[in-house]
Amino acid sequence: MSRPALGRPAVVRSATGRSSLSPAELLRQAILLLFGLLALFPLYFSVVNSFKNPVQYASNLLNVPAALHPENYAVAWTQIAGPMVNSLLITLASVLFTLMFAALSAYAFALMDFPGRHLLFALVFALLLIPDFLTLIPLYLQIKALTLPSNYLAIILPTVAAGQAFSILVLRTAFEGIPRGILEAARIDGAGHLQTLLRVVLPISIPALVSVAIIRLVPVWNDYLLPSLVLDEAHRTLPMALVAFQGGGSATTSTPNYGALMASYVLSALPLLVLFSFLMRSYIQGLTGGAVKD
Amino acid sequence: MRANASPSDRPDPNRSDPAVQAVELQPYVRPRINFVQRLWRARLAYLFLLPSLLLTGWFSYVPAYTALTRAFTDWDGLNPPNFTGLENFQRAVTDPVMQEAGGHSAVWVALGLLLAVVPPLLVAELIYHLRGQKRQYFYRTLFVVPIVIPSLVLLLVWSNFYRSDGLINQVLGALHLSSLQHGWLSNPGTALYSLIFLGFPYIDAFYLLLLYAGLQGIPKEVTEAARLDGASGLRRVFSIDLPLLAPQLRLIALLAIIGNVQYFISPLVLTAGGPGNSTTVPALLMYQTATKFGEYGYAMAIAVLLFLVVVALTALSQWLSRGGAAQS
Repeated sequence: MSRPALGRPAVVRSATGRSSLSPAELLRQAILLLFGLLALFPLYFSVVNSFKNPVQYASNLLNVPAALHPENYAVAWTQIAGPMVNSLLITLASVLFTLMFAALSAYAFALMDFPGRHLLFALVFALLLIPDFLTLIPLYLQIKALTLPSNYLAIILPTVAAGQAFSILVLRTAFEGIPRGILEAARIDGAGHLQTLLRVVLPISIPALVSVAIIRLVPVWNDYLLPSLVLDEAHRTLPMALVAFQGGGSATTSTPNYGALMASYVLSALPLLVLFSFLMRSYIQGLTGGAVKD
Repeated sequence: MRANASPSDRPDPNRSDPAVQAVELQPYVRPRINFVQRLWRARLAYLFLLPSLLLTGWFSYVPAYTALTRAFTDWDGLNPPNFTGLENFQRAVTDPVMQEAGGHSAVWVALGLLLAVVPPLLVAELIYHLRGQKRQYFYRTLFVVPIVIPSLVLLLVWSNFYRSDGLINQVLGALHLSSLQHGWLSNPGTALYSLIFLGFPYIDAFYLLLLYAGLQGIPKEVTEAARLDGASGLRRVFSIDLPLLAPQLRLIALLAIIGNVQYFISPLVLTAGGPGNSTTVPALLMYQTATKFGEYGYAMAIAVLLFLVVVALTALSQWLSRGGAAQS
């Protein structure tokens, strides 16, 4: 990387006319573009192959087929429509309740004074030290023994619990940053704690709430282990359905319907694709901003 | 203005206004109030905390307690467990399959650490040195987009690449390198490495953004001073960026180690630990011991051992990185 500006200390890099394409800059961009496209290659692979019939698939794995076979998507949809709905429902409910309960706790920790505050906060913080694999099996047996009104709750409740520590920590920091004057004004107007939370604290904290929601949403959407243990056939999620549809990895000798398989992969990426086309900016800011640092 | 509200209606007395409070309290108690009253006054705070505490108590603390205590029993999920002392642990450390699995896990953790640190660091440096905010933002976004691919889909697509008639062998064939063709996941010699190196180019969005934010946080005076001293390119990376990124690198190393010690989804879904035991890792053994064979007590002992390994590796990496930082 050549850096010719040795004798010009005061010049701020990007603000000058030199922001044109030097060879080094071109090289950097070429490498980045290559890596970026490679990272997206599985998506490209799924999309082009989802439109192929078995003969086209066998002859070339990389081209865009001349004759498209969208009927693969109809086959895929019959396999994953139900699980897609289940996954959407479970993910939305889990994230919503995670936020709701975490906001209440974060408010108490940030803005209320009560005996045992430090002890209880330490208990919440210590949750981060309990790894998932330690609790997986006991949790599975515990949930199996529980009679729940709906099988959905068998995954929603532990997922909400698993999200509490992280969400409470981030929201508490956000709530503590709210100017005291605003909170005092609300109190003078006669607002109780619940009203202050609903009318003042939450509206101000929408960026933090959105960050926490999308950061939590991705692992919940991808979760496979616990759902595969506690959910029954009718309530199974998308990852479970995809594994079942594939029919057990590459070890199997039978040749699955690749076109439909790839179509199911594309369909299962769509919800997050739509979401991130709206919320990419706040996701990036949530991760790079103060939310998750340290 | 509810000056006439009785103090017991206020669970959280406004401490910034002690005068008002004292006047209001006087009819009931003398300046000091006892502990029970303080608890009662704070009841709204406890009510706010109740859902979180109940859920985490029942779905995190109770199962963790179960795991830690039942590791010392012959728990089978049906009969009341009997205390067996360290028997499960003894069995775990002497079991040859477990030792083999531990070796696989060590390789996975070591290589996984490299894959977690090097590619994101390289990309973060490249993006950071691009000219112009817009360009930097574009590439940052480009590397976050793959997050929309569900992690299971990534595994399944890659298992497709690894098939004997899959993409990798086709590419090797086209390059006249047929001698390198394998059934990547069905060959015991390559299966483990195929799983570890699954997911090229290994650029985790979170790690990348963390490192990029760290680079942005390096004070301009430091980089300018380095430039005056003639440190550029790789020298700058090694003498300035890496030491100043130590907190971020430490966090990534920690997350990668903990994540890889407990990871077993790809062996579970793609190879079931095989062929033979060639892709078996301790976490997978723990899972299979419990769900296939119902030996919950033994499974919990494996889980507790893994937990101890995680704690030890965490302490070790903290200690090493602190030592490294002190040297430079």
